[in-house]
Amino acid sequence: MEGIDFSEEINKKIGVIKDGVLSGKINLLNLELNPIFSDIKDSLSIFNIKNYSQSYVNACELLNRKFEELRNLLRSLDIEKKFMDFLKEKPSKEEIYDIFNGCWNCNFELEPLSINFLEYSVNRFCKENTIDLRIEHLNKERSDYQFLLEIPRLKFTEKINEFFDEIRNKLPCYFEEVFENEEHQIRIYEKFVYLLHLLQLGKIKYQKETNTLYV
Amino acid sequence: MCEVIKEMNEMSILMHILSKKRSTHQIGATEEEILDILNVKNKNKSIYLQNLITGLSNYLVPLGLQIKFNSLNSHWYINSDSEITELISANPFEGRPSLAATLLCVLTSCLKNSGSAPIQEIRKLRNKKEIMSDLKELEKEGYLIINKTTYQVQLTPLIGYKLDLHKLLVNLSLKLKE
Repeated sequence: MEGIDFSEEINKKIGVIKDGVLSGKINLLNLELNPIFSDIKDSLSIFNIKNYSQSYVNACELLNRKFEELRNLLRSLDIEKKFMDFLKEKPSKEEIYDIFNGCWNCNFELEPLSINFLEYSVNRFCKENTIDLRIEHLNKERSDYQFLLEIPRLKFTEKINEFFDEIRNKLPCYFEEVFENEEHQIRIYEKFVYLLHLLQLGKIKYQKETNTLYV
Repeated sequence: MCEVIKEMNEMSILMHILSKKRSTHQIGATEEEILDILNVKNKNKSIYLQNLITGLSNYLVPLGLQIKFNSLNSHWYINSDSEITELISANPFEGRPSLAATLLCVLTSCLKNSGSAPIQEIRKLRNKKEIMSDLKELEKEGYLIINKTTYQVQLTPLIGYKLDLHKLLVNLSLKLKE
């Protein structure tokens, strides 16, 4: 990036455009200036900013001139009168047809665009994307309680023990057998978490070689 | 990862709703409809929409497509860019100059009368007595609606999708200069 400096090329390009505009070869309203600004933006760095500032000024001059031309065009537009003036000349249908040359748009209509998936996606999105994230400042409130959040430690332990009692008679068994009657994914995940806790507490043991859980 | 999936999901949905033809003269969706489908409810939703449209537009440019706004019915829709349009024949009246001529007269009369064009005036502008068959054909193709009671014609938003009015004005100005 250190050695990159396209300012000279950009200035030359702008110079060619300016000459073209002055000689009437280029109509600024038909010319896209985005590529020039993109070139400046994409290659700008702290090492070339000094030279680039002049390129930027030149590009902005061109943009101002384009705005000026657009302003002139808008000023000259007396739409209804233009249409009337043209039709007053009693042009033939072929002449009118030619006026439309290059004026037609080609709309992009793609009905079979993975329609089933997208319909499903639209409906699903509508139902599920209801979270409106906001960052709000909280007001400080005086409270007599030491903790605002209640930690349900005992309840969780009770749930683990309940799960332990539920599977105790199955043991020893294969790891998967603990979840075999459960179809609901969330419930399986919940049981898996309990199992991890039981393994960590040492209430249940696991033998990797045989994929077996035992007491 | 979740954000990327969400963005891709939004882009797919946006692509779908902007390219969906709902009737002969209704393609795409309004800002309100897009925000409703994407379930965007925060206070900066317009900026959010602009960012989405810019994002999708960046994806579409290499494919020769661009997102446009039809001010006649405030719908966002997808259009082929000028290079692609030149390659494929986009002229809906190819070989039917009479229809194009009548449509221009309707357009002129609608501009003059703020929306509705009396059939009598179209006849006068067109300098032709028999224009009903043209008007009926244009109605069939979705460009206008004939009101048989008031004997007037109204353009539908289809002209906003199909015609580049700016280019037409440039062509007219050049023609008048000749």
